[in-house]
Amino acid sequence: MEAEHGLVHRRWWTPYLFLLPGLGMVLTFSLWPFVNTIILSMTDAQILRGGTFTGLDNYVRALDDPAFWTALFNSVLYTAVVVPAVVLLPLALAVLVERKVPGIGFFRSAFYTPVIASAVVVGLMWQWLLRSDGLINTVLGRLQLISEPLPFLTDSTLLLFSAMIVTVWKGLGYYMVFYLAALGNVPRSLHEAAAIDGAGAVRRFFHVTIPSVKPMMLLVGTLSAISALRVFTEIYILGGESGGPGGDSRTLPFLIREVGLGFAGETGYAAAISILLFLLTLVFSLLGHRLSKGDER
Amino acid sequence: MPLRRLTRLCTTALLAGSLLATAACGVSGSEGEASDEQPERTGKVSGQITFRTLQLKPTFTDYIQGVITAFEKKHRDVKVKWEDVPGEGYNEKLVADAQAGQLPDVINLNTDSFQLLADRGRLADIAALDPEAKGDFIPGAWDQYRLPGKKGVFAYPWYVTPEILTFNKKLYAEAGLDEDKPPATVEEYFDQAEQIARTSGGQVAAFMADPQGRLPGDWQKMGVPILNAKGDAFTFNTAKAVEWAERMRDLYQQGAMPKESLTGSQDINQLYGSGKLVFGPGSPGFIKDIKDNAPKIYAQTAVGEAITGKLGHIGIYTQSLGVRRDTKHPDAALEFAKWVTNGPNQVAFSKKATIYPSNAKGLDDPYFSDKGDGTDPETMARVIGAEELRDAQLDANTPVQWTNQVGDAVNREMHKAIKGDREPAEAVKRAEDAANKILATQQKQQKQQQKQ
Repeated sequence: MEAEHGLVHRRWWTPYLFLLPGLGMVLTFSLWPFVNTIILSMTDAQILRGGTFTGLDNYVRALDDPAFWTALFNSVLYTAVVVPAVVLLPLALAVLVERKVPGIGFFRSAFYTPVIASAVVVGLMWQWLLRSDGLINTVLGRLQLISEPLPFLTDSTLLLFSAMIVTVWKGLGYYMVFYLAALGNVPRSLHEAAAIDGAGAVRRFFHVTIPSVKPMMLLVGTLSAISALRVFTEIYILGGESGGPGGDSRTLPFLIREVGLGFAGETGYAAAISILLFLLTLVFSLLGHRLSKGDER
Repeated sequence: MPLRRLTRLCTTALLAGSLLATAACGVSGSEGEASDEQPERTGKVSGQITFRTLQLKPTFTDYIQGVITAFEKKHRDVKVKWEDVPGEGYNEKLVADAQAGQLPDVINLNTDSFQLLADRGRLADIAALDPEAKGDFIPGAWDQYRLPGKKGVFAYPWYVTPEILTFNKKLYAEAGLDEDKPPATVEEYFDQAEQIARTSGGQVAAFMADPQGRLPGDWQKMGVPILNAKGDAFTFNTAKAVEWAERMRDLYQQGAMPKESLTGSQDINQLYGSGKLVFGPGSPGFIKDIKDNAPKIYAQTAVGEAITGKLGHIGIYTQSLGVRRDTKHPDAALEFAKWVTNGPNQVAFSKKATIYPSNAKGLDDPYFSDKGDGTDPETMARVIGAEELRDAQLDANTPVQWTNQVGDAVNREMHKAIKGDREPAEAVKRAEDAANKILATQQKQQKQQQKQ
């Protein structure tokens, strides 16, 4: 009886012992950096120089900083354009490659290739395509559709849209796989019943396929919104270290890096912008969550 | 579990991870500034020290290991632990190590990392601990390791690359220019670029448009005062600086520079190597790269003295070896840093890479004065670079106050001026205002820190 009691006594903490390594990792590498960033955002800390508590000064400064508003606008614009494209285009692609016909594996693999390509390689490839002497301008010029090369990489707005195209292109295959999984779970009987009722392919797509994959569309929308808000590499490679001409194509992560790094890097201010980016991401995430919940009801 | 609930669960988990990662991106805490107290020498050269280099493996593994082995043979009680770190993220790693109190005893520093660590009191004052070292180095290199407002020299100069002029003499001749009369001033450089644009019909460009690597050097060479005498305010808003922006704008419109080179997103070596650019980078190391990758263009390449303009100085870029201020083995660390940077070791290194010794005795080696038949670009770059170095004064390129934040702010305005989106005079004025605002913020913070 005593031995049994001892066994029970040992049991209550045994599971926690197994949790400790994982918990330690999460606390050290996720929660602590997060809390530290919040603390840091309320100081005037610089790199290797401990700061003093300044309250909400950094947040007030951000709201008064034109660079912050430009970056915020660019990030939101990026998200607003990229998310609908990334929700819809991979779905269309998934519907096309879902059918089991000979050679479809090749197309599936081909569409997935950009996903596994390095972001740097992808960026450089698009840079060659979009330059004033690049393939796209050359073709448009030969077809006499343009008289001057289009400034894809030297006009701030066009640069931003060029980067969006790269993001969408690179994400197509990735989200296509999500949709392929969702499409695989749509009961075949629903399609068959709709077909018997006389629904054509287009009607079946809108009335059977779309409602069935709606939860996945919300997931893709939320994930792509988070990715779009964090975009950096595409703009860095296409627009250079300055974030495009005059820095007008900078997004929030770009600004965080610029403010926080280097000899005079202001870690406190960079942390404040990071937290503002976090809040923005949170809004988009909650929106996705809300839509998902509403859909369930 | 229904698919929808599973999807929501996955969403929540993924979101939590992504959000936390977003908030923590690129930012870390910082500890208080270290004191300026220097280590004390004991006269006993012993102990295990760590030595960190910047991207020298595997090309120079044998050389560095040879230098270490010879030192350990000379000082039997010292063990040197060598670690080599890639260039990508080097400064960030140093910052992380400094925060964790894990800096190596002897550290290879570039200009940025030197300024960062020396300003924050993390490096030993070499001039105080090793007063005789000064005489070993060329003055221009030694003086680079001082900091305004601080007494002392905080690193041993290591290898150096001086600014030179490189150009494609075939394209130069096709533009009607005389290869024996390369530009000596920024204004002449612009004149020649204009001629190249006019005669090439858009087929070749003269130089890259990005102002980042050119400022404040170009302005200094044109006689523009960058800072006031006290060094606490930028004063570059002058007619000459406006003239620079106007000429850059006109040249850009005329096609003297590749359009996309404005933002630094194009590779200058690739452009020069494909025969689309007349002026190459002003660095001797580039010559070897062209020799290896574009031999046809290498044969067309000529080398000249750096553009000095009114300043009369040349820009030199140096690497250095700093000693951790709170090292446990100051004698071993100092002796080792001095050993790596001595004349013979620097000359041996220069023979393996396109670099120059900062050590005055090293520069006297005949290797640096042998012109051969006077036609090989690599040999000529070596001779011209070494000649310039003997007289090199302070680095013409970047005062400490010109931080990357200042440089970014100025670049943004100059981009707008060059593209024609903003009047050059307005752009220069805005650039100075932005630079002074950044400087004032930094000085205010420094004063606050000093008070504490």
